[in-house]
Amino acid sequence: MSAVPHPANPHSPLPPGSTFTPGDWQLLARQWHPVANASKITGAPSKATLLDEALVVYRVKGEVVVARDVCPHRGVPLSMGSHDEEGVVCPYHGLRFGAGGRCNRIPSSPNQAIPAKLNLATYPAVERYGLVWVCLAPDADSPAPLPVMPHWDDAGFQQINCPGFDINGFAGRQVEGFLDVAHFAWIHTDTFADPDNQLVPDYTTVETEHGFRADYISSVSNYSEGFRHLAPADFAWLRRFETHLPFTASLTIHFPGEQRLVILNCASPVSARKTRLFVPIARNFNLEQPVEEVHAFNLCIFEEDRAMVELQRPERLPLDMALEAHIPADRSSIAYRRGLKKMGFGEFFLV
Amino acid sequence: MIDAMSRQGAGNVAVELMRADGAALPAFEAGAHVDVHLPGGLIRQYSIASPPADRSRYVLCVRREPASRGGSASVHERLRVGQALTISTPRNLFALMPGGHHVLVAGGIGITPLLAMAHQLLAGGASFELHYYVRSRQEIAFLRQLQGELGDRVHLHSAEEGRDARQVLPGALDGAGNDHQLYLCGPAAFMDHITAAAQARGWDASRIHSEAFAPVVPVPSADAAAQDAAFEVQLASSGQVYCVPADRTIAQVLGEAGVPLSLSCEMGICGACLTDVVEGMPDHRDSVQSETEKAGNRQITVCCSRSRSPRLTLAL
Repeated sequence: MSAVPHPANPHSPLPPGSTFTPGDWQLLARQWHPVANASKITGAPSKATLLDEALVVYRVKGEVVVARDVCPHRGVPLSMGSHDEEGVVCPYHGLRFGAGGRCNRIPSSPNQAIPAKLNLATYPAVERYGLVWVCLAPDADSPAPLPVMPHWDDAGFQQINCPGFDINGFAGRQVEGFLDVAHFAWIHTDTFADPDNQLVPDYTTVETEHGFRADYISSVSNYSEGFRHLAPADFAWLRRFETHLPFTASLTIHFPGEQRLVILNCASPVSARKTRLFVPIARNFNLEQPVEEVHAFNLCIFEEDRAMVELQRPERLPLDMALEAHIPADRSSIAYRRGLKKMGFGEFFLV
Repeated sequence: MIDAMSRQGAGNVAVELMRADGAALPAFEAGAHVDVHLPGGLIRQYSIASPPADRSRYVLCVRREPASRGGSASVHERLRVGQALTISTPRNLFALMPGGHHVLVAGGIGITPLLAMAHQLLAGGASFELHYYVRSRQEIAFLRQLQGELGDRVHLHSAEEGRDARQVLPGALDGAGNDHQLYLCGPAAFMDHITAAAQARGWDASRIHSEAFAPVVPVPSADAAAQDAAFEVQLASSGQVYCVPADRTIAQVLGEAGVPLSLSCEMGICGACLTDVVEGMPDHRDSVQSETEKAGNRQITVCCSRSRSPRLTLAL
């Protein structure tokens, strides 16, 4: 792993004020994380933060550009700027940055050749599952793959992107909550779960190339409150969880028949104490339901989880298993922590 | 309930399970097993041999073990067609991995999960081959299926004909591509032999997947513990030796002796107490380590696991 100096500080690879330890930051920066819903990035510069790095995200001629949110000239945030067909314009001196973050206009000396130093510090960015994914410090020797979302591109499936959702907590705690099957009956009773169905049937986890998979079969229906009568008697609800370490996990819910609902939970680590949750959803039923209703329903679930995640202590996710107590329902949580530990995460996560 | 039973080669009986109401059974993936509650109170894990696409039935196949601890004897002697059985939902500790070519190698009754895998690979149009090692041709289970739809992908090796695994290895072990996957199921010595041969030919451990006949029971029941034998635990640091009696755990004995341990779940699911093994052969009773990790015998959960060797030396 090469530690490329940070543009703001040649003596360190970390962004100023990093809330992570250098080792954990390096490992996290090798991975792809989402920073925005792609449909929200039109031309105008938009602000995002990833791993304490302030970013500007804009689009020029269809291409998404992600760069440090700092004008190389005098350090003003470009996310405050305006845009035209050729790129984003710094509000202070009007320097303009286009494709690839390259400076293409210096209004005060239009005939001057543009030095390379004036180009933005950009990061690799790709659009997938309706999200803009960024990698801050790609590892050239073994580049990290993007997570896989089942069914997103399959015929008959509708694609929905919930608005980004902010959580004052650590991404690892949020992901572990998403994988947790014992909290349905306690937290999600206003949305889909049944307070009288608390039992967690046994399940196992299977290691995969980038994380693990858990097939969880229970009688907890996934129909929302008010539609429970649609659930056939004795239906075995299969929830397939597939994690892509460190902070992405998909849940494929097998509804009666061939109906499938896929939820991709992408916890973007804004900092060690802030998370922006992005949730692409794919489904092949209820296609006539307005997407606003889907957004509103999922927002309720996110809120139910947030109330817990923001209060968990320690805020960090203990990878030393002896620091918390564990019960049989936690097989996924345990596999998750073991997976992170295996990837080399350390100090920040409390080892 | 048991819908049918059939003899599948000398010594083996196949048990075909359906729901009494004829409804579909829970979906499973090739390689999965179910816990079967047998008459007499025993619970045994058996792999599903039938095609995952067929959710109307699960077909299990059980070999009559001369040294049976009761499971296979109960299946052979006490199960009858029409009887109701309680089983768990399928669990998979032996899943197919993405790969360009899949080499399935069965020893004896180890054919059961691999047969389901072969069906799944065939249905998905994937590239695979199945090697089945038996002592004699009379022991072959599911012969008709093997000769029928699976056809020329199947290679039968009979020890009686001079083709046991020590004499004839699957040719696919040589010069395999980096995306080839190897799946083994059979007796421990058989799997050890094939694993060593594959590794010597450049297969890395991450592409070798195996499942022993008897998956480790996640939590030892009180009954099981009562049958356990005593053994010794030695601390590598001090050389001090402690006796772990049949009814006590390593953690209990060491804890009382004042040896600092890291404990949390105390039931082998969290791994807080994983301790390096310096010498000896652990009897893994946990469900936190993967099958590969258990086979490596490098660490042991001292909260619930025991020892196969008279003495275990731990890095404590």
